[in-house]
Amino acid sequence: MTVKPGDVVRAEEGEIYDIELEADILEANRRIAEENRALLRRYNVKAIDVMGSIGSGKTTLIEGMIKLLKGRYRIAVFKGDLTTTIDAEIISRHGVKAIPINTGKECHLDANLVKKALNRLNLEEVDLIFIENVGNLICPAEFPLGSDKRIVIVSVTEGPYMIIKHPYIFMDADVIVINKIDLADAMRVDVEKLRMDAERINPRAKVVATDCRRGVGVREVIEALNL
Amino acid sequence: MHEYSVTTQIVSKVLREAESRRAKRVLEVKLQIGELTFLNPEQVKFWYKALVKGTVMEGSKLIIQEKRGLVRCLKCGYEGSFKYEDDPAYHIAFPTLLCPKCGGVVEIIGGRECIIENIKMVV
Ligand SMILES: Nc1nc2c(ncn2[C@@H]2O[C@H](COP(=O)(O)OP(=O)(O)OP(=O)(O)O)[C@@H](O)[C@H]2O)c(=O)[nH]1
Ligand SMILES: [Mg+2]
Ligand SMILES: [Zn+2]
Repeated sequence: MTVKPGDVVRAEEGEIYDIELEADILEANRRIAEENRALLRRYNVKAIDVMGSIGSGKTTLIEGMIKLLKGRYRIAVFKGDLTTTIDAEIISRHGVKAIPINTGKECHLDANLVKKALNRLNLEEVDLIFIENVGNLICPAEFPLGSDKRIVIVSVTEGPYMIIKHPYIFMDADVIVINKIDLADAMRVDVEKLRMDAERINPRAKVVATDCRRGVGVREVIEALNL
Repeated sequence: MHEYSVTTQIVSKVLREAESRRAKRVLEVKLQIGELTFLNPEQVKFWYKALVKGTVMEGSKLIIQEKRGLVRCLKCGYEGSFKYEDDPAYHIAFPTLLCPKCGGVVEIIGGRECIIENIKMVV
């Protein structure tokens, strides 16, 4: 049967179309995150996402973990930064591969950027990847990257309310780190109160208090990650 | 904080839909934003207005419906919104992953969406 021009269903001129779309804008990132997860699993690589405010101690914590884990794992670090490569340079001093990911103006890493960074690595030669997100307690939570575990780090210098002010990012954490406990008294912040807030918001997460500069608690973080 | 990039994606998605139907004008876009996203509706509206200028979307209405977070209890099966805790020391109510019914641990099953639900256009 041939289709005659008159058979074609056409919109009338000026007709109003009501289109049900049900398209989730954030879904695209989640899909790529799942691809990353599958890729990492295929090569048996563990990936740990490190999120937290600016200056909370993400790089210092990663350095501390590298020191303790270097002998057991072949480690790489991805470092999301707006424009600089400072943190990546600090990390590469430890003799591990550090790949800076410049996000341009974006306030977070996304799964696609991580996918590109993964393509730069020979995954046969890596067992463990730390992904340091952009310093920010808000946006990174929106964009899963495909990691196995997520650390959210908060430091006492950010004040006593940081956890309850940003509850949602802590809900996504597997490990919550309360850092700079050496400064707690000076900051008049009660570490135990912060710990209680964290435990109430996310009873599934393990909470560890640290002084990353001196390496206090870093071993516990590693245990909490089952590494 | 990333309202700009998300709104850019919303607008280009709607423009693609409009173009594929040869629409002359888009009248209305309905959006659902979940409580657990970090998208501020006011800022999404602001960027929307700026980004649609000079396109078939100019002048269209953006309707944003906010959706509550949804959790499910792993122990008793409760489904509903978060349990909020009030801390008298802080004067802030904050959501927790504790079940409001039995105190068990809940998992998040909804509230992370940013959905373009529906578009009205003139063809
Ligand atoms: N006193 C004290 N200082 C710390 C601790 N951990 C980190 N610092 C210091 O805090 C500053 C910031 O630490 P970084 O590790 O660079 O923090 P970051 O979260 O990676 O920072 P950005 O990547 O810029 O967001 C540095 O001067 C660290 O030496 C700690 O436990 N105690
Ligand atoms: Mg850093
Ligand atoms: Zn329950």
